[in-house]
Amino acid sequence: MKVLLISDKEYLTKTYQGLKNLTGTFLEKKGFETEIIEVEEKNLTFCKGCFGCWIKKPGECVINDMMTQINRSSMNSDVVIYLSPIIFGQFSPNIKNTVDRNIPNMLPFFETRPDGSTMHPPRYETYPKVIIIGYGDMVSDEDIQLFIDVTKKHRRNIEVLIYQDQETTANLIEALNIMEFGRVVGSL
Amino acid sequence: MKKVVLVSASPKINEHSVSKEFLEMTGNQINADLFSKTFIDVRKSISTHKQAEDFATLSKADVIIISFPLYVFCMPGILTRFLVDYSNYYTVGPNNKSKVKVYAIVNCGFLEPEINLEAVRVIKSFCQHIKAEFRFGVLIGGGAMMFAAKNAPFMKKSVQKLNDAFSSMAEDLKHEDSAKTDHIYIGVNFPFSRHIYYFMGGRGWISLARKNGLQKKDLYKKPYRLNE
Repeated sequence: MKVLLISDKEYLTKTYQGLKNLTGTFLEKKGFETEIIEVEEKNLTFCKGCFGCWIKKPGECVINDMMTQINRSSMNSDVVIYLSPIIFGQFSPNIKNTVDRNIPNMLPFFETRPDGSTMHPPRYETYPKVIIIGYGDMVSDEDIQLFIDVTKKHRRNIEVLIYQDQETTANLIEALNIMEFGRVVGSL
Repeated sequence: MKKVVLVSASPKINEHSVSKEFLEMTGNQINADLFSKTFIDVRKSISTHKQAEDFATLSKADVIIISFPLYVFCMPGILTRFLVDYSNYYTVGPNNKSKVKVYAIVNCGFLEPEINLEAVRVIKSFCQHIKAEFRFGVLIGGGAMMFAAKNAPFMKKSVQKLNDAFSSMAEDLKHEDSAKTDHIYIGVNFPFSRHIYYFMGGRGWISLARKNGLQKKDLYKKPYRLNE
């Protein structure tokens, strides 16, 4: 099982170290092959909304930076895990850039999902399972709920977990232990 | 004179921006005798390294209006960077700041304006972190179409709703102690089925790709999994 772990170099807090150690130990025990990418501002530029990834070079971002490696690794992994600081109830700037620049992996068109909402169709038959682990110190309940809603409300085949301190360790390990890993059929 | 700062956060570089158009519509409704109006473009601010100057302008504002497109069900990374850096700048500054009112205008290409709600909630959370007063959001579905087809008869109602929403915002920001106000949701009153909207959108993408020398089938390329 190939796992890509994406984290943010800008927020290397004590809580992050605790989470990284815990996740690393879990993946090692499972025997998964893990690639770690720590993103930072200087090697990841912002999406410029050019849609070049749909109409110039379909499936690939036209900006040549670390995102090329992330998208290639991501699409060839079985699982992608994001360790994201919870900032204003959503991702940190670097993680949000990474998420924004995943759009080459979907098609430009629209489709209606079973719940009646609109979404872009998948480009690929299968996708890695995505697990987002939000972390932070003294994060309010409102921000935690928003972090869950930002991801879970609009995406299928995605898991969201929260880590705040050592008291939440047991819950996180339990959630990971019962989770199924592996690629999923391409509904976004 | 009180100060209104209007922030547009489309990530596009030197291209037409729907978010900016909405912001200008709002700016036009604000009484120039009562408020000074300053526009900040987040992309320009970052690319020309003007953040310190723009943060100083923002920190003196009485009202901030932020307009942006929905990116993956939330705010774009470029705006996240700008607001996180501004929050760090603002919270270490002097403590005698007066309370600033904040409004959000969020638009998306999907027809349903409700999809923008989480992005508005993020702006509300940002306000709580900098101790600002979040007032309300204007959530717009089918944003690009609002301008592309603004003169079409079926668009009349939506354009009127937009003007009413921005007028409500311009009125609300004049008052010191306003009651809580709900968000305003504006969708396109599209006279045909949703599938026709999808079909027309799809044809638009194919036509743009053809201008780049691609064929329809090229849009479906799978560069990272050639065996699928």
